[in-house]
Amino acid sequence: MVDRNKIEQIIFEAIEDLNFQRPQEDQLKKSEDTVLFGYSGQLDSLGLVDLVLAVEQKITEKLDKVVTLADEKAMSQKKSPFRTVGFLAEYICQLLEEEKDG
Amino acid sequence: MLQKFEHNKTKDAIIWNDEAYSYGWLLEQIQNWKEKVEKRKIPKGAVVILEGDFSPNAVALFLCLLEHSCILVPLTSTVAAKKHTFMEIAQGEVAFSLGDRDSVKIMLLSRKADHEFYRKLRQLNHPGLVLFSSGSTGKSKAAVHDMKNLLEKFKVPRNSLRTITFLLYDHIGGVNTMLYTLSNTGCIVTVQDRNPDRVLSAVEKYRVELLPTSPTFINLILLSEAYTRYTLDSLKTVTYGTEPMAESTLKKFHKLFPKIRLLQTYGLSELGILRSKSKSSDSLWVKVGGEGFQTRIVNGILQINAKSAMLGYLNAESPFTEDGWFNTGDYVLTDGEFIKILGRQSEIINVGGEKVYPSEVESVILEMENVAEVTVYGEKNFITGNIVCANVRLFKHEDQKKFSLRLQQNCSQILENYKIPRKISIITEKLHSERFKKVRSLN
Repeated sequence: MVDRNKIEQIIFEAIEDLNFQRPQEDQLKKSEDTVLFGYSGQLDSLGLVDLVLAVEQKITEKLDKVVTLADEKAMSQKKSPFRTVGFLAEYICQLLEEEKDG
Repeated sequence: MLQKFEHNKTKDAIIWNDEAYSYGWLLEQIQNWKEKVEKRKIPKGAVVILEGDFSPNAVALFLCLLEHSCILVPLTSTVAAKKHTFMEIAQGEVAFSLGDRDSVKIMLLSRKADHEFYRKLRQLNHPGLVLFSSGSTGKSKAAVHDMKNLLEKFKVPRNSLRTITFLLYDHIGGVNTMLYTLSNTGCIVTVQDRNPDRVLSAVEKYRVELLPTSPTFINLILLSEAYTRYTLDSLKTVTYGTEPMAESTLKKFHKLFPKIRLLQTYGLSELGILRSKSKSSDSLWVKVGGEGFQTRIVNGILQINAKSAMLGYLNAESPFTEDGWFNTGDYVLTDGEFIKILGRQSEIINVGGEKVYPSEVESVILEMENVAEVTVYGEKNFITGNIVCANVRLFKHEDQKKFSLRLQQNCSQILENYKIPRKISIITEKLHSERFKKVRSLN
């Protein structure tokens, strides 16, 4: 099983990096419920690009795995993986599980 | 042109390998080649491959074969890998290959060149010229010119200058430099290799007045600090063209050499070189046109109607509009008579519907400390269509992460968010081609 806590931790670290470059009033909370993209989301499209790139890079660094988070597959999920931190963590776990099985 | 040579027989025409060759020598050599060409029974209108660089014989042969109404196909060693393909496309019938010591090997090839443009040139008894576009994005296209049209503009007398033939023998800019200089009985100063020290040492040694070059090379002069090692007081004008110039590079050079006039040139393999006038030495605004050229802007893109335009491509469809204009693919801004070239349509990065011109971002990054060279390009991205990426070469080692952050913070102070590079790579190899143009196809 992929350790979901570990994935969440990776996302939090990416958020930390992102926050470093964001104004004080736009800081993202390191919480599972943080709304990322979409209605009342805190990120615009470029912010999402940054988060996705940061998370992808951290997964490569920490887990030695290459994942693509933004593609057709992500968009065709019933619930968007970019809705909240929790959804994103779940989606990453799913991708890594599939890779293990496949 | 040859009459002018006759009146200036003692004047230097070419400096090659530290030796001067006079106009008298050049005239004689053209005559010698004429006899050899006739002896070999090379017919008028033959398609002749000329493989070399600017050397006394390469120049003499070029002029001799023009006189003989041949169709010239100059090639240089920078296209060695594509040589045979280019010879095929151009249907070369004879090949003159110039060696290191200016020796000449002649080969009669068993091929009969036939193409509607060649037939037309032969009918008119006009010399021709075939130039290959760089083909950095896709296949190289072969542009066929009627040399009579291209030569027209050299009839107007202009300044006689000592000029470095920096741009290559098989490039419209190089051909233009050679013909401009010789038609005004100036002197072409040749360089064996085109690194900043070699070029600037030639400027000092031969009191060169004009250096036609590219923005990439101007940047190399600055970052190699070669300019500190030579006296450049003879240099009156530096021209730059072939790719967009980073404003920061231009201003830096101008600050160092306020007396040198910096002039932007504009030309294309398909059209020849337009006359141009920069607003000032530190300005990217330029007026282009001159006798025989008309310009118009359609949807932000520069179109040109040129008397000296090529007949067409040998290996591609006609690129001209129905009313005979050529779409340059260059996005421009206008201010009265002046234009500012933003970049090629094909190089523009579309980030979520916003246009990013690589040169603008490059200009900002080049101003950062420890940055030697940078190339900005686009990469496909599922969220915004594309993202901006940068390959950077540094002077001194820096931690990748720290540098990326420094770059992004620096850019965010000057550029809109969508223009900031999202992926940054530090690389160690040079970022320009042998033609001193940026390589944007690294990914």
